Amino acid sequence: MKALLEVHSVKKAYRIGKVLVPALRGVSFDAREGEFLTIFGPSGSGKSTLLHLIGGLDRPDEGEILVDGFNILKLSDDELAQLRLTKIGFVFQFFNLLPRLTALRNVELPLTVAGVPEEEALDRAKEMLKLVGLEARMNHRPSELSGGEQQRVAMARALINNPKIVLADEPTGNLDTKMGWEIVQLMKKLNEEKRQTFVAVTHDPYIAETADRLIHLKDGLIEGIKEAPRRNKQRS
Amino acid sequence: MTQRKLRTSLTTLGVVIGITAIIGLASLGEGFRSGIKERMQQGFELDVLVVIPGSFTAGIGEFEPQDVSSVRNVTGVNLVAPLITTPKTKIYNNKSERLNALTVSAVNFSEITQMLPERLTPIEGEIPSQGENDTIVLGYKACFLNETTPLVHVGDEVTMQIENPSLSLPINKTLRVAAILGKSGTSGITNFDYWAFIPTSTAIQLMGGREAYNIILAKVSDPEQSEQVAKAIEEGFDNPYSISILVPIAFMRQVDRILNFTQIFLVAIASVSLLVAGIGIMNVMTISVMERTREIGILKAIGTKSRTVLVMFLAEAVLIGGVGGLIGVFMGYGLSFGLAYTLSSFMQPQHDRVFKTPEAQRIAINPVFSFQWTIIAFVFAIIVCIIFGLYPARKAAKLDPVEALRYE
Repeated sequence: MKALLEVHSVKKAYRIGKVLVPALRGVSFDAREGEFLTIFGPSGSGKSTLLHLIGGLDRPDEGEILVDGFNILKLSDDELAQLRLTKIGFVFQFFNLLPRLTALRNVELPLTVAGVPEEEALDRAKEMLKLVGLEARMNHRPSELSGGEQQRVAMARALINNPKIVLADEPTGNLDTKMGWEIVQLMKKLNEEKRQTFVAVTHDPYIAETADRLIHLKDGLIEGIKEAPRRNKQRS
Repeated sequence: MTQRKLRTSLTTLGVVIGITAIIGLASLGEGFRSGIKERMQQGFELDVLVVIPGSFTAGIGEFEPQDVSSVRNVTGVNLVAPLITTPKTKIYNNKSERLNALTVSAVNFSEITQMLPERLTPIEGEIPSQGENDTIVLGYKACFLNETTPLVHVGDEVTMQIENPSLSLPINKTLRVAAILGKSGTSGITNFDYWAFIPTSTAIQLMGGREAYNIILAKVSDPEQSEQVAKAIEEGFDNPYSISILVPIAFMRQVDRILNFTQIFLVAIASVSLLVAGIGIMNVMTISVMERTREIGILKAIGTKSRTVLVMFLAEAVLIGGVGGLIGVFMGYGLSFGLAYTLSSFMQPQHDRVFKTPEAQRIAINPVFSFQWTIIAFVFAIIVCIIFGLYPARKAAKLDPVEALRYE
């Protein structure tokens, strides 16, 4: 299968005060289309940095990152924004929904940014909320939704523009076990239905169990990559 | 959220106050200007040029009859009245009381009434038509000692006494009062209330047949062209420097310029309050950007371009400017009418004064709704908001998405 994501010897350091702190010290891997990839590692291992780089929120110091053939390092700020809008979906640990907008409007937002006409955008957002099982709650604001519900809204928002790749940063990190499990199930379902590539940074064993491959990151370097046959595939 | 609404309303209020001040003062100033202009048009014969031999300060020289016709032939001049002022002239009534005629001037009666019809309206008698010799027309104050006591009546005889430097004895001439004029008030030329008019022919006779004039009044067909006509008159003389021309409209233009300057000065002061409002906008928007850092991070993460973020925040500033400007324009006109009403009541003349000349009439200031000022103020409000909103908006646009998402 074609590699949708290619990461070649990526290095990234952050300046904290006068000290240059390396976050990634040469990381290489790739992800195929429709693959569910998990990046595992202790805090400070550079997982979030890696995810931000893949998502085009930041640029690597060295190395190359290709998302669906586009080199992150060579794109302008506007082109990067366009890439995030059309090819990448983000799910965050803290949901990051806009507090003043309803669930429906939050999901619709990327379509509005992309310039999709209002009526079509609303229809698609409703459809997407139905898919994540929230059609009954779509006119509620984030503060009126539970953590699990908020993360579902975030998931719907990440998927609304039909991205090639969905990046999840500790998607269950802020949820209780039951809700976390539901979110993992939802991710799995979407990954299978839509054949989108998922890259999740996590501590969560549920996600690890679900993933096709597990990348273990430590101190900015890959310690190992583990192929894991998906349980649900075995079941079916 | 509620707090932000309050903050935004207060910022908008700043813009409202700024624009209210600008529009209020501008329209009041405009009203003041047009009021004064109107009064000046009433008080001055804007279309009458005063041509004098020599200069105003020196006041020497005379005009020959051909000078008068040279002025008459200038294009743009549709009426000419030459005047002979007789210096050192005293007028006495039949009880030997001296009349308060400061200036005795020989004129062609029909010419001068055509020239200054509003000034020369008799309250008693009639201004004689062409060539009635040995008559005199008296200005109001030349005739009345006070409001109730006239020194002469129409039909009375008065004695005009001219001191002649070449003779030891003054010349005496008896004249019949033909008309007494009403109060004319001050005009651009002079206050005719203290004048006495005699026919030109009488004066020429007294001067021993010599025809020489001291002043030529020239009425122009278009007051706006006054300066050009004055120049043409000057060029009609061999030596243009030998005459002086008083152009009333130039004076009025000067006054208008001063008022215009005053108005701009007032508006400039008012503009300071708008600048203060602008700083308020900068302050509020900077806080807003800080508060919404995370939101901006989210927007950027889902693919919003920096420029779009910039435009979003600028739009907010423009909205504050637009709404504030709109309310301010309305309130400004309200303010100007309120101020005009208050000021006008202060400017009421006292009614117990002796002289009820036209200039003592109440000066009414009617604020003028100026489309131009409305547009200027409104656009100014928006521009100020954009300028002061630019810094926080750029700050928002330049936020690093990773940092912004991490922001708590």
